Amino acid sequence: MKASDEELVALVVAARDTVAFGELVRRHQGLVRSLLARMCGNRALAEDLAQEAFIRAFRKIGSFTGAGSFKAWLCRIAYNEFLMSARKRKATEKAMDRFKQDVDDVEAPRDMGSVVDLDRALATLKEDERAAVVLCYASGLSHSEAAEMLNMPLGTVKSHVNRGREKLKAWFDKSEALVS
Amino acid sequence: MTIEDAFDARLKAAFADAQDDYETDRESADAFVKRVQNRIARPDRRRILILGAAGSTGSAIAGTQLETFFSGVNVPADGVMASIAAFASPETMAAGVLAIMISGFAFILPKRI
Repeated sequence: MKASDEELVALVVAARDTVAFGELVRRHQGLVRSLLARMCGNRALAEDLAQEAFIRAFRKIGSFTGAGSFKAWLCRIAYNEFLMSARKRKATEKAMDRFKQDVDDVEAPRDMGSVVDLDRALATLKEDERAAVVLCYASGLSHSEAAEMLNMPLGTVKSHVNRGREKLKAWFDKSEALVS
Repeated sequence: MTIEDAFDARLKAAFADAQDDYETDRESADAFVKRVQNRIARPDRRRILILGAAGSTGSAIAGTQLETFFSGVNVPADGVMASIAAFASPETMAAGVLAIMISGFAFILPKRI
């Protein structure tokens, strides 16, 4: 039988078991890497941040109380890594601006399922809207979990999600209209 | 299902597809896990080097002051320490203390990081 996340965490806390932690990384790497890739729109940077997030999670694993899910706790660490990186490097913002300009220049997307199209659509959102949408849709967090993570009132997060969602819908509708 | 719900479902599916890229690529996932495990197993060498160099420089600076300190000591003493002090010059004592300090840094730093 597969050990639960909580059982693996207990092993890591008790014995600094790197094999158990490796299993946790294997289970959640897709979520964390994808979350960060959607947040920063830069796959290479997202890979580095994801690695740092897991290292930090290993160091701080004793602070996981089990009050919420391990996934939500990990997402919070990943989001904090993203924020720290964004603050440290103002160049990131410049890169995002360049990315947005590139988006305007490219051919209209054909398929919403395409990851590239999703990233292009997300790049049109404001930073807070993007964070709220990604946390709720990609990570499957509830609005209240996202509110806690983003340090925002619940109502604000709901507004960001709704506004972001409307913008994405408008973007995809427009893209599909261009293609047809 | 309303139109809004349909879009929600499409959006969730798009995010799930994006995540699937990472889940299904076993090679990339294995390589990522390996990189994280290696980083955990191996402490940050650069940090050790920086702290070690800072500690050693501090010890060396303190060591240069020790000679003056020991040459100024004029305390009546007896026993083993007094016998050792009678044979050891201030330079020797300073070198001994310096060696102990540097060994301490070399021994403790890798364990503390």
